[in-house]
Order: sequence, then structure tokens, then C-alpha cells
Amino acid sequence: MNDARPATLQSAVLAQALSKRYGELLAVDNLELEIPAGQFFGLLGPNGSGKTTTIHMLSTLIRPSTGSAAVAGHDIRTHPVAVRASIGLVFQDSALDRTLSVAQNLRFAGLLYNLHPAVIEQRSAELLELFGLNDKRDRPVGSLSGGMRRALDIVRGVIHHPQVLFLDEPTIGLDLPNRRKIWRFIERLRANTGMTVLLTTHYLEEADACDQVAFIHAGKIVQRGTPQAMVEAIGRHVIEIEAADPAALADALKPRLGPALKDGDLVMFRYATEDLGPIAALQTELGTRVKALRIRRPNLNDVFLWVNAAQVQK
Amino acid sequence: MMVRPIYAVLEREVVKMFRQRTRLLSAMVRPLIWLFVIGAGFGTVLERASGGNYQQFLAPGVLGMTALFGAMLAALTMVYDKESGVMRMLIIAPFAHYWIIIAKTLSAALAGFVQALLLLVVLAVLGFLSVKMNFALLALGIVMTALSCAGIGILVAAFTRTLDNFAAIMNFVIFPVFFLSGALYPIDNLPALLKITAMVNPFTYAVDLLKHAMLTPLQASATSELSVAVDLAATAGFTVLAVILASWRFSREQAYEPLIHILTGKRGG
Repeated sequence: MNDARPATLQSAVLAQALSKRYGELLAVDNLELEIPAGQFFGLLGPNGSGKTTTIHMLSTLIRPSTGSAAVAGHDIRTHPVAVRASIGLVFQDSALDRTLSVAQNLRFAGLLYNLHPAVIEQRSAELLELFGLNDKRDRPVGSLSGGMRRALDIVRGVIHHPQVLFLDEPTIGLDLPNRRKIWRFIERLRANTGMTVLLTTHYLEEADACDQVAFIHAGKIVQRGTPQAMVEAIGRHVIEIEAADPAALADALKPRLGPALKDGDLVMFRYATEDLGPIAALQTELGTRVKALRIRRPNLNDVFLWVNAAQVQK
Repeated sequence: MMVRPIYAVLEREVVKMFRQRTRLLSAMVRPLIWLFVIGAGFGTVLERASGGNYQQFLAPGVLGMTALFGAMLAALTMVYDKESGVMRMLIIAPFAHYWIIIAKTLSAALAGFVQALLLLVVLAVLGFLSVKMNFALLALGIVMTALSCAGIGILVAAFTRTLDNFAAIMNFVIFPVFFLSGALYPIDNLPALLKITAMVNPFTYAVDLLKHAMLTPLQASATSELSVAVDLAATAGFTVLAVILASWRFSREQAYEPLIHILTGKRGG
């Protein structure tokens, strides 16, 4: 395979001015994305922001309208088969045959990647062990729980040891214990293989573990960086005030606390310093006119909310 | 390179075929009903009119019918695959997407072939086979019948979004293909329009090939209406054409992107 361009050798994913248009809708708009090999990268954004379309272009299932991208050094337009050979993709919906057993599904998937049956056997055993499914080998997939099926879907996606793994909302629709399990599996997988992982999610607390995250809004990347740096950029604290008339409160406090974010009857301010004296004073001053006042550390959710608010205002 | 992926699709077909025992049973019973109910009923009329054994005439037709139903139904499962997850595994696999069509066509043909072979055993037990038959040609005939019927099925599947209207496919595809062939009556006797329809129907050539193989030379000259070479060329040519057309349809951007959205359940997300 001689299509690896020198500039892309270190990058697992390199997208340049990638766009996808559906009639009037610009689903992905001049997207620039570079993911170094081995990184755990989170692509975050609200529903319909272009995350899935981006993943489908990078995995060659959808042709971009304009722009170019290389995945694992292969051009997605000119070498789609080489791209598909070096990636794993876990779709939002299950890519399994519910009527076949766990082992039969993995055999089917492995053969599609031209793996020798003995290799499939060995890798299935290893991966099912890693994902806590080794006692389910002969069970029909239809009889597994949602969490187990999702875990198996990831096993299916990595049976051929891809260089880059795309996970499209891997925990969507799962309850908290199962979401945590899936995250532990992904951690173990990364520790064992060092593969590059590109994940989309809108459960932002999950993206804390990412090396780097990018927020996508209306098909454009609007902010990117390490989760820590982005959270730190929000400030030292977030002040949350619950009030009957949030709009009036936001206006009243704007000179002192800066712009606010309103969410239902909740008003949120960013607070840059560790000195909480003024807030204590404010609490006394507001007294019983507000339902509650909370001080907490910011997290990625706050980044997401502020980024979105800034985009909506534009 | 493609041996293992194609084998994967074939293996899944066989596993599923033998798991669905009722489907397999009905694939055996359906042709026997035709042979013994329809065959006996019409036989009383036809044999008085023209002599000869109508059930013997019908045997290649019902063998073809088994291959037709087996291969067609298996090919149509491609539409179900779009709704279940299996098509996702196939489209993300590292080969050009026309291989999906080729593999599905071969696996559908395999389903038709196996079911026709099973019926052949039943027919042998019932005394419809004789040692005078050309068994090499019979094997080739069943293969070509299964392939061309899989071709019809894959063509329908490639142009069909859902199987909600399965009855329409039965009425407008499977039954006409069967009735407008030489399976039940010689096409020479048909009115001009129906005869033309029969001549463009690949199943006509497949059944004619089976007649060459199954009827004794004397009977064959009376009942098969085309030459073996024409039958082989027509069935092979149609199968290749069907695979090309279905592949074109399957990988065409407009047909393909809605498929991605069906598979992923959302648009532009």
C-alpha cells in the first residue's frame, strides 16, 4: 500500500476542509481535524451537529461533498478499502445478527476481515475475556442484555485489531452501571492495544478521560483542547442560583458576575477566582429571594453549555 | 483474498437454512403439492388430449420451482439484513461493495441448490428419476437454475427498501416467473404476448435445461424447446447481468446514502 502521504504518517486521522451537504443542509462544514496516533479523542456536540456524518465520511461509508481526509495514512476518497481494513467502527445501532450465537457473530465478522478461523478463535477468547463475556460464547445474541450486546459490538469492531477505532455514541441508551462497564472495557482495550480511538458522545462526563476533545456545532468545530484546559478556561467555580425570575436575576447580577447562562429556573455564572468572600456576601444579600445558591467546580458539561450558548448567539 | 468473506456469507446462509426447519419443510411440500395435486388434476385432462405422462413433464418444473423459491427467498433476506445489523458488518468490511452483492447472490444460489438437491432425493424415492437421465447435465442445470433465480432475487432485493409488501413481491415477481415459463406447460402453446414474456424470463431457460437433463431423450425432444447451449448462455448471461445491475444500484450514491441512514437510524447527526 503506497498511498500513505508523508504528512499523515503520524496522524491517525487528518481531515482537511471536509464538508458534507444534503441539499440545503450543510451537515459538516469545512471540518479540520487532526488526531495523533494513539490518542483518545472525543468529538462532542448536540444531536444533529454532524458527529455521525463526520464518522461516516472518515469510515468511507459516505462520500464527502468537498474536502479530503486520510485515515491511518489512506485517502478516504481514493483508497476506501484500505481505510476500512485499518479501522473498526461501532455504529450507534447494533451490527450483530441476533439469531446467531456470540461466537458465530465473531466468526462471521472475523472472516469478513479475511482472518484465519484459528486466529478468530484465539482473539475471540481474549476479547470476550477482556469484556467479561467469556461465559456467553454460545448464547444467541438476541438473548443478551443491552449492555452485553454493546460490549459484544465493540469486540466485533476490534476483532481485526484496527489501528483506529470509531465509537459512535457507544453508551447511548444504556443505564449507568452498564455505561461504566463499557468505559472500563474501552480503557482496558486502549491499555492493551494502544489503538487510536475517536468517540462521539453527548454524555460529557464520559469525555473527561479523553486526551483531547473537540466541540462540534452545526457541522463546525467550535472549540478544541484537553478536557482539563477547557474546564479550567471556564473558571474556578460555577455559581448556580435557582430563582423564580431567572431573567431578572441574571440582569441584576450581570455587573457583578458577568454574563449568565439560563437553564429553566437556574442561572449559572462563571467565577474566576478562589476567593469566595463576595459570593458569601451575595448569598446573605439575596437571602430568601432565591430558592437555592450553589457553588461548584466546573466540568465538561459547563464547557458544552457555554460553547453552545455562544454559538446560538451568533 | 475474497474466499473467506464469501465463505462467511455462505456459512451463515447454511446455518440459517437448517435452523429454519419449517421453511425447509415447506420448500419440500410445496413442489409435491404441485406435482401430486395439480399434476394429477390437470394430468387427467392433458393426458387424454395429448398422451404422455403430465407428472413426468411437471417434475423438472417443480424441481426448478424449489430452486426458485429457495434462492429468491434467500436473496430477499438481504432486505432484512439492512434492517438487522448484518448489513452494517458487511458495508464496513474491507472490500468493494459489489462483493456484498456477489456473496449474497452465491449464498442465495446455494440455498436454492441445496433445497433442489433435497427435493431430488424425494423425487428419486418417489420414482421420478431414472438411470437414463443425464446426471451431469442435471447437476449443471440445478446450479444454473439456482444462480439465475438468485439473480432475480438479488435484483428485486437491490431495488426494494423494505419487505413490508412481501405479498406484492410474491404476486408480481415469484408467481409470474413461475407461471410464465415452461414449467407447467410448453411455451409453444402460449398466446403470442405470453410467449414473448416467457422468452425474456430467465426461469424459462433454467427449466428447459432441467427438462433436457431429466426427461429421456425421446421425451426431451418433444418437451424441451430450446437447445442446451441457448439455455446455458441465457441463464449465465442473465445471472451476470443481474449481479452487475444490482451492484450498480447498491453502490450508487443515491441508493446508498439512504441505506446508511436506515442503518444508522438518523440523518446528518
